[in-house]
Amino acid sequence: MRQRLIQWLGIAWTILYAALVVWLYAAAPQSIAEVKTQASVAAGTYEVDRARFDAGRELFLREQYAAARAEWERADPARRDARTQFYVAYSFYRQGWGRVYSDDALFRQGLEAADRALALSADAPLSVEDPELKIHSAAELRAELEHGLERTADDFNPLKVFRERK
Amino acid sequence: MDDNRTTNRALLRHVLLPTLFLTAALLGGVRVEASSRAILFVAPPLVALVLALMLLSLFARARLVEFGRWLSAENGAVENVSHALTLLALFFASAQAFNSVLPEAGLPRWMFSAFFLWTLWQNQFSSFDVRRLLRSLAALFGTAFVVKHMLLASLYEPGGGWLKRLAGAALEGVTLGTLEGPAYANSTGYISFFTLALYACGLFLLPASPAAETVEDDGRAAQLARSLRLLPARERALVIEELSRGAEKEEERL
Repeated sequence: MRQRLIQWLGIAWTILYAALVVWLYAAAPQSIAEVKTQASVAAGTYEVDRARFDAGRELFLREQYAAARAEWERADPARRDARTQFYVAYSFYRQGWGRVYSDDALFRQGLEAADRALALSADAPLSVEDPELKIHSAAELRAELEHGLERTADDFNPLKVFRERK
Repeated sequence: MDDNRTTNRALLRHVLLPTLFLTAALLGGVRVEASSRAILFVAPPLVALVLALMLLSLFARARLVEFGRWLSAENGAVENVSHALTLLALFFASAQAFNSVLPEAGLPRWMFSAFFLWTLWQNQFSSFDVRRLLRSLAALFGTAFVVKHMLLASLYEPGGGWLKRLAGAALEGVTLGTLEGPAYANSTGYISFFTLALYACGLFLLPASPAAETVEDDGRAAQLARSLRLLPARERALVIEELSRGAEKEEERL
């Protein structure tokens, strides 16, 4: 009887441990803190750090975009929150936007973040109700970023300098 | 007493050995990046899987692991499943042991893969000597460990280790491109050492067959008798003569 119990225990333990090893290699966390984050994502208990998110938004409104993104990176280390990724994309848009020309590198990073936001809100269209923003949907923001990266004859229109940043 | 022994043996086979081998499998691919100190998990390359398979076939040939008795129709279904998991863990631990000592890239990786392949391939067909195999494997693992974690690690160091400066001075103007590779922190070497120690410990504890001791002893005697029968008549007579001489000496001493 005891032998049987040890055999079952061995099977259960080995499968559990092997699953942990496979998961570690698949998730590839780069630090112990990331192990905790990835584990909470896998367990479905992952949550954004609300205080850090708000601190990031404060910085964003003061046009401290790089600092805001650093706060949001800490608030959403696994990049699993669509709303946070939307704000990250928006910060790239506002930082990269220029009256004469836009910064392509920043817009490209913004596009990546907007794609993440869209992918994370696949069930329903993402809409952020924030009175400080002029774009409220992730799809619209993505289109704006994409438009900024395109090369068209409109780029040479001198009246472009009068357009408004969203 | 016997009950304790049986329980301990079962715990070893079903719990401790898979734990040791899976820990070796986990740590074998762990690297720590030199600059960012980030942990990297490097999955075993194909060559490591091939080497592990060849090593297991040598274990079977040397009767270090009797697969037929680990997975036997005489065992219960649950026991066989547990044994299969232990053997699977042994396979992945072997692959990761190779992964942890094989250089990451370039000429050294190619060379060491070739050395390992040559040693294991040669032993599949040549006249077999378990001691020689274990000695050559230990030497190869040891050399690969020293080359990867001491010599090449010094070459790959971002600031340029002692070996890089020495090689730079000796081979001025000659490119070291074939020896380039990723720079890892010193802790990677410690992790690799721990992995190999765990793997060796697991192999040391791994019984050739999972049968209980008494049955195992009977089996061993029967196996010896079978092996004796396979010898040519002259050699068999020599063995028997040698054994009886030993027995006589033992009697005289008593």
